[in-house]
Amino acid sequence: MGSNSSSMNNIPNAEQLVQETGFSAAHILRLYERFQFLDKDDTGQLRPEDFGAVRELAMNPIGDRIISAFFSPGQETLDFASFVRVLAHFRPADSNRTRDGAQPEPANSSMGKLKFAFQLYDQDRDGKISRAELLQVLRAMLGMQVTEEQLQSIAERAIQEADFDQDDAISFDEFRKSLEKVNIDHKMSIRFLS
Amino acid sequence: MPSRAGFHNPAKSLPERGLLLLMVLLFLEVSVRPLGVACSQDTNHHHQDQHSGNATFVKKAFPVLSLDYNHIKAPFEVSLWVLLASLMKLGFHLVPRLSGIVPESCLLITVGLLVGGLIKLAGEEVPPVLDSRLFFLCLLPPIILDAGYFLPIRPFMENLGTILMFAVVGTLWNAFFIGGLLYAVCQIQPANPSILHQLELLPCLLFGSIVSAVDPVAVLAVFEEIHINELLHILVFGESLLNDAVTVVLYHLFEEYSGVGTVTVMDGFLGIISFLVVACGGVLVGALYGILAAFTSRFTSHTRVIEPLFVFVYSYMAYLSAEMFHLSGIMALIACGAVMRPYVEANISHKSHTTIKYFLKMWSSVSETLIFIFLGVATVDGKHAWNWTFVTVTVVLCLVARVMGVVGLTFVINKFRIVKLTTKDQFIVAYGGLRGAIAFSLGFLLDERHFPMRGMFLTAIITVIFFTVFVQGMTIKPLVELLAVKKKQEAKRSINEEIHTQFLDHLLTGIEDICGHYGHHHWKDKLNRFNKKYVKKCLIAGERSKEPQLIAFYHKMEMKQAIELVESGGGIKLPSALPSTVSMQNIQPKKPPPPKPVERALPQLPKGREEEIRKILRSNLQRTRQRLRSYNRHTLVADPYEDGLGDLLIKKQKMIELEKKIKDMNNYLTVPAAASDSPTMRRARLASGSDTDFKPAQQQKGNTICPDPQAYNMKPQSDSVPTIQVDLASPQSPDSVNLMDEFRKAKQQEDDEQGLMMKPPSGPNKPGEAGEPREQKLIRCLSDPGPSADEEEDEPFLP
Repeated sequence: MGSNSSSMNNIPNAEQLVQETGFSAAHILRLYERFQFLDKDDTGQLRPEDFGAVRELAMNPIGDRIISAFFSPGQETLDFASFVRVLAHFRPADSNRTRDGAQPEPANSSMGKLKFAFQLYDQDRDGKISRAELLQVLRAMLGMQVTEEQLQSIAERAIQEADFDQDDAISFDEFRKSLEKVNIDHKMSIRFLS
Repeated sequence: MPSRAGFHNPAKSLPERGLLLLMVLLFLEVSVRPLGVACSQDTNHHHQDQHSGNATFVKKAFPVLSLDYNHIKAPFEVSLWVLLASLMKLGFHLVPRLSGIVPESCLLITVGLLVGGLIKLAGEEVPPVLDSRLFFLCLLPPIILDAGYFLPIRPFMENLGTILMFAVVGTLWNAFFIGGLLYAVCQIQPANPSILHQLELLPCLLFGSIVSAVDPVAVLAVFEEIHINELLHILVFGESLLNDAVTVVLYHLFEEYSGVGTVTVMDGFLGIISFLVVACGGVLVGALYGILAAFTSRFTSHTRVIEPLFVFVYSYMAYLSAEMFHLSGIMALIACGAVMRPYVEANISHKSHTTIKYFLKMWSSVSETLIFIFLGVATVDGKHAWNWTFVTVTVVLCLVARVMGVVGLTFVINKFRIVKLTTKDQFIVAYGGLRGAIAFSLGFLLDERHFPMRGMFLTAIITVIFFTVFVQGMTIKPLVELLAVKKKQEAKRSINEEIHTQFLDHLLTGIEDICGHYGHHHWKDKLNRFNKKYVKKCLIAGERSKEPQLIAFYHKMEMKQAIELVESGGGIKLPSALPSTVSMQNIQPKKPPPPKPVERALPQLPKGREEEIRKILRSNLQRTRQRLRSYNRHTLVADPYEDGLGDLLIKKQKMIELEKKIKDMNNYLTVPAAASDSPTMRRARLASGSDTDFKPAQQQKGNTICPDPQAYNMKPQSDSVPTIQVDLASPQSPDSVNLMDEFRKAKQQEDDEQGLMMKPPSGPNKPGEAGEPREQKLIRCLSDPGPSADEEEDEPFLP
């Protein structure tokens, strides 16, 4: 418990968040502190500019994508609940969760994580990663070091490799399949040490 | 000590087995006999003539044929042993049933026992083969270097905490538990005072520390055959490598002070400091040599043939330097191999890479075989002092300590791991803790005077080794099957995986930054940045230093695929993902792009045409590749893949025909990325200097023959030959180059061809500067494709 006066009472809907996301109370608290740190003007809402306080994001090739992933399409502000919900994707998966058909897929399962990553690629949310979208990502990651032709070649090859239904785009299933050898639980988890 | 020569032969069901044994016996006969005879042989025949001072000078007939065994004794015996080891290895694989049931290490030890027994039967002195110096200086380094050079860095680093825990804390626990309990057991001999009473605490602890270390050689030998998943493999294997530092320190500590008899707290404290020095010092020494090797490899572009030598020599020197200071040589070797690998591989030629790989595998294989055989031989020889209590208690305690250690440590470790270790994993880790020759050699090193119980120690060590290798080694495979432990997945990384993995890395780094959590990804990212910014520039030659990871990976993939394609005949159907071309020569900070003419985007070809083009390209892929290779005077002399001239002429003809065929196709600048490309063309592109900015040189100078090495120009009008001018950079076939020709004929003034044709820079284009990197790259690439089947494709160093 930091020196600031935040306790669980200050956090709106704290218990509900704990239930929903599976974070422990301590985690929620820590995230709330971080949220407050980012929220410089103390409005209780974050805007994209607030993320500029995180300097490293500027150097990250997909920094702006990550930021925009926090905000639902069309929304300009981000409240704490949404902040936590997005971060819930990166909680280590619960290995002993019983498979209950009625329960919706939790955010931090492999599926949930992959869906989140997929959305980062698929900016227009049509359920597929088109060639143009892939190219955008490649351009962002490889930046100034390669020429357009190389990017095209790589994108071409990537699509050819993954595209099984020949629609010239990568669907979510194809995306998942191409990552089947990667341990998503391990790769996309952050240990939120409290 | 009852000789174990009475061991029965393994079932010789096949005549080959018998034949092999016969050969072995023959060799032994040859080697053993002269050993006895040589002593009485007068070897100085040639001195007799000058022997003038001798009064009783007897003139002998000039020796036409004489036997001089002593002259070549040492190398001959060494060669015999190596030959024996290799023949044994051959033999085992001729008997398929056997190698499936019994791991190779067991068979080899058995053979060693046999050989030792035979030598003893022949009445000769068993050579002290497992002499510690020989073992530590000659037999062990190749195995460790092989392991270190090909260490999968990513899983190793990801599990480093776990590995260190097992290695350091686990070994310490084992040593003290075994040593302490042994001492206790030795003291509680009530009725009959046995020699065990004389055993004091410190020698017990010393023994404990010797016998507790998991042995990398044994682990490698057994685990290689069971193909378990990467995580478990790296855990056990990493532990066996890193516990060397602990073993070294404990060994020296207890050896030092067992003479004195007491160890104070101060000594313990110094021991801890010593451990840190040994471990970190070893790693530092190794890293230093690794960087030196990487730096040296930067300049080897003109002397490709000795490139592998640098890798080996620097690594060996790292090992020796570490051993000189009593630091951990194993850790030095691992650090050296791991550090130098990404940079060296970026610099050396493909042939050198293959050479290094195969030499390392060969040496480590022979070494391993020899070690096990020698273990068997040394068992037969040697003063053994069998003591039932001591030995059985040792074996039992080893097992118990191992299990307890693993379980306890896993309990602690799992609190910090994302992917927890299950019970099955723990079982395999505990069961896979095999002891091996290192323990034996360390025991062998003990001084008889300080340790009167040396014989007993050695016996116990050997028993433990035998037990772990035979019992655990043989049963681990069925157990793995039984417990359905996850097996190793055949890793064939796709470009998708690579892209997405990198994407996820960035994503996770970003999320960590947002959370303000400086975790794993954050530091990895920082390290990557540092590496890219400073280190790569120093250690990698030329333009490869700026090559992004993804491109390097992509390039490798393309190369592999093209090689496979060519090796399988060139006429087969290409896989759906046809290799496209990625230009190496364009890896540079992007200059302001030249004013582009209208057509930048790839025009869409009608599908039918595309197919046609693909077919044409496919059928010509191999030939163009070969053709391009032949005429480079900068490749190594006598390139075995070089075609004859006549062949080339025929190909040229075909190309001209091809040209005509494509002539009536649309005027498009590029064929979409479906074009299959050959590695050579790609390399040629590589080889062309960085400033060839898609300008066909011929355009500039009409039809002059380019003096460029890779420009294959047979005749002045050879510009019609497509390959020369293929811009590997663009996703284009050699045939599309033909198009270019057509194009050019159509409109001579076209000067920006969208990078279709990358002509190696002709005269005006800075021949001096461009020539160098060009040749360098070309030489790099035109190389023996090498076997690709089990090619362990390197993961990116800092993924």
